[in-house]
Amino acid sequence: MKMNLYSRGDKWFVIANMVLVGLFTIATLYPFLYIAGVSFSSGFAAAAGTVVLTPVEFTLAAYERVLSEPEFWRSYGNTFIYTFGGTAVSLLIIIPGAYALSRPQLIGRRFWNLFVAFTMWFNAGLIPFFLNMRDLGLLDSYFGIIIGFALNAFNIILLRNFFESIPSSFEEAARMDGANEFQVLWKVYVPLSKPAIATITLFCIVARWNGFFWAMVLLQSEDKIPLQVYLRQLIAELSDDEEFTSTLIDAAYSVETVTAAIIVCSIIPVLLIYPWVQKYFNKGILLGGVKE
Amino acid sequence: MSGVSLDKIVKRYGALEVVHGIDLKIAPKEFVVLVGPSGCGKSTTLRMIAGLEEISDGTCRIGDRVVNRVAPKDRDVAMVFQNYALYPHLSVADNIAFGLRIRRTPKAEIASSVEEVAGILGLTPYLDRRPADLSGGQRQRVAMGRAIVRHPEVFLFDEPLSNLDAKLRTQMRAEIKRLHKRLGVTSVYVTHDQVEAMTLADRIVVMRDGRIEQIGTPMELFNDPVNTFVAGFIGSPPMNQFEAVVEMGERGPVAVANGARIALPALDSLRNAQGRRVIIGIRPEHASIEPMPGASAVPVELDLIETLGSEALLHSSIGETPFVIKAETGGDTAHLADVDAFHVAPERIKVFDHETGRVLGAARMGVAA
Amino acid sequence: MSQQEHIGPSTEELVVEAREALRDRVRRRATGLGDHFKREWQIYVLLLPTILWFGLFLYKPMYGLQIAFKDYSIFRGIDGSPWIGFEHFQTLFGNDQFLRAIKNTVIISFFTLLFGFPAPIILALMFNEILNQTYKRTAQTIVYLPHFISTVIIAGIVMTAFSPSAGIVNAVLEWFGMDPVYFLTKPEWFRPIFVGSGIWQEAGFQSIVYLAAIAGVNPSLYESAVVDGASRWQMMWKVTLPSILPTIIIMLIIRIGNLLEVGFELIILLYQPATYETADVINTFIYRQGLQQGQYDLAAAAGLFNAVVAFVLVMTANTISKRVSRTSLW
Repeated sequence: MKMNLYSRGDKWFVIANMVLVGLFTIATLYPFLYIAGVSFSSGFAAAAGTVVLTPVEFTLAAYERVLSEPEFWRSYGNTFIYTFGGTAVSLLIIIPGAYALSRPQLIGRRFWNLFVAFTMWFNAGLIPFFLNMRDLGLLDSYFGIIIGFALNAFNIILLRNFFESIPSSFEEAARMDGANEFQVLWKVYVPLSKPAIATITLFCIVARWNGFFWAMVLLQSEDKIPLQVYLRQLIAELSDDEEFTSTLIDAAYSVETVTAAIIVCSIIPVLLIYPWVQKYFNKGILLGGVKE
Repeated sequence: MSGVSLDKIVKRYGALEVVHGIDLKIAPKEFVVLVGPSGCGKSTTLRMIAGLEEISDGTCRIGDRVVNRVAPKDRDVAMVFQNYALYPHLSVADNIAFGLRIRRTPKAEIASSVEEVAGILGLTPYLDRRPADLSGGQRQRVAMGRAIVRHPEVFLFDEPLSNLDAKLRTQMRAEIKRLHKRLGVTSVYVTHDQVEAMTLADRIVVMRDGRIEQIGTPMELFNDPVNTFVAGFIGSPPMNQFEAVVEMGERGPVAVANGARIALPALDSLRNAQGRRVIIGIRPEHASIEPMPGASAVPVELDLIETLGSEALLHSSIGETPFVIKAETGGDTAHLADVDAFHVAPERIKVFDHETGRVLGAARMGVAA
Repeated sequence: MSQQEHIGPSTEELVVEAREALRDRVRRRATGLGDHFKREWQIYVLLLPTILWFGLFLYKPMYGLQIAFKDYSIFRGIDGSPWIGFEHFQTLFGNDQFLRAIKNTVIISFFTLLFGFPAPIILALMFNEILNQTYKRTAQTIVYLPHFISTVIIAGIVMTAFSPSAGIVNAVLEWFGMDPVYFLTKPEWFRPIFVGSGIWQEAGFQSIVYLAAIAGVNPSLYESAVVDGASRWQMMWKVTLPSILPTIIIMLIIRIGNLLEVGFELIILLYQPATYETADVINTFIYRQGLQQGQYDLAAAAGLFNAVVAFVLVMTANTISKRVSRTSLW
């Protein structure tokens, strides 16, 4: 309950502020709406730059083209494999690892925590990582993408911190009831840590869904690439195209509209889980990450 | 039922020793309360019995079994934690059944045990609720249910009432007492609240700095504290303590403090104690505002009257030394304003050594051989 | 004392007890560690996958970093390749492209910090001044969104928006009667576009930290400011901003620690030979030299240089932040 505690001069301040925030919000939203508009416009209209927001010469041609493309479906499917396979593998390793690192009785606990945290401050870089993946025989493989990016120090430390914040009496009560470590973790710590685990799941899903650089570098076979790499190839075409200007003057679709349609298809799943995502981005989670 | 016995139990964290060789024998079915200020080692001692802390030295037995190296789950003890440690994701029934499930007890047996325990604790209507939907007292009861359901040999309580408000605490205290009567399980109870200790315990163990100061029934501790610490810790308001010098009067030893002369009990150790510095202890309850035969009258200056209803606390002073008197009001406080002295019988007075704080000779002159 | 009240153990019992205690102590000394693992083996089982993963995927490459000092050939492998000392580093520091990449990294980082750092703070302060909760929540929901969108799509959006034929930016310019500009081929436009799109994508999400800090400000501070007759503008400057200053300082230190972490994925997607002059940073240089042209050893040397500088920055920032956060309310 905010009372009307403010003077008339404040009213202008409040209104100006609302307008400015509104402008920034529109600037954030506009490109998405614009892309959606392009995706439903004719190829001609898109190439001529006449689309401002709403579709011009409304057509579903770009979507028909995209959805009839086997490469689109294959890469879309691959993205799902990488996202869900990768997230599952990540959680299977992170949860037990973070739990073990939070146990006071772990011998060398400080060392192992440093072992993990150190990789946040120093890493070997692109080339040695790439050569290592090659030496491990993980180039151009589903498994390589899934396992090679399963963990990072940040997620483990985030979850470890959460585990450490759980009062030890929960573990002690379970232990007196006869639970072993596996049971304490599975029946007590995991249920108690739902928000933290949900956050990490989210981080994993978003990173996997959007990841493109290493997929581009490590995967050679067209049939293994995820959606983002496929999209990148199309966008590269798009920029090459600029040099000739569009040749598809009266086509129902163009590279622009097809690209826009794929972007829309790629964003939809993100939008679907977005409300759920928002629920978990609160103070604790972000600050928990900042504190090492 | 088994008893518990501790023999020279020591707890060390690295070089720091926090419990210095405690000896304690707890009889089967006995209710023992460990009490003391925070950091006195009472919780650590309890956790060593539970098996949650390793015992650095000494022997802990439950029944006839040495349990130093036995895992907590195999000690046949159950513990109620200060924050209850109820699993928020489980219903009341599942919380109570947790330990039985872990031990792979047959389903039918779990169901009947949970039902029985819920009946005892009055939790039957709440079995399907989550802990978050319960009141503080109900949560406390669930925590006890989880301990009871396993039929352990020993119950351990770690400050189980400290998260409750004052009224609930009184109520739950009585309930714990009743439960102990009904189940007759050996219980070790840790608290920093002396009232809880007095009301619950068969015997109280007063601890300080990792050592036991005194063990005894509530009334023993109240009437015969072994030192100034126990005297100050047990009883509310605490025993008045002040310095005095011993002189020999006509009828026996007399304490002189701030000009007041107070007749002392005829203790062995006060024989020929002329000029000895001592600490005098007088309970507020034992200082009477009515004259009594054989009692010395001590003039006081009245500062403040705190009315509690049937009783009142008179905050006063003997010279510079504050002194609290507990007086019956008889429903009226008017007469209390005129109090200018209290009366105390010599046998009610405790005398402690000035240096060590230890109580002086329990034996009276003439009685001692 | 009265603990002897309960009848103590008989001498016989005492002897047995003493013997047991002694045996116990001997056993503990002899098998301390073995005993520990026997009792606690489960946590080591839980830890093992994590340690293996870090060893295999993050520490093993550190061993591979030695190729920065070797004449690496794929056929001889990391161990078999001959040492050549600092030759690659000499080559790098004689290489105009590498020096240009360092310069670009520093410049882009600097501008990202200069404009990108205050943006979320300003945004958070502005959000805080919005009284209509629905309006506020809707705006927040929208500005957080770009954070969850992939770099590829961001690049796609940027390219579409700045395209000379179809882009909205040029459409606006034309509307004002100006000539269309092919922004993405113009070196002078690369940095503003890159920094701007970074703010567009991240400012909203980063504002969450500051909003959380603002939420922690004691409301009575505002109430007493109102009683003292402060305007909202004054309250923002004199109450809100000083209250979240510790958070701002910590975030600034963290950002400085990660200064070299330029979002090179977006650069790879946006730059082209015509804009290398202003766009090529250390990581894109490494990507081109190493992964595209196969000069692994030289690129690894560049990477090592980058990693060492970054490490020094992070450690310095960590040290400062520890000192600062001890005295500030965090």
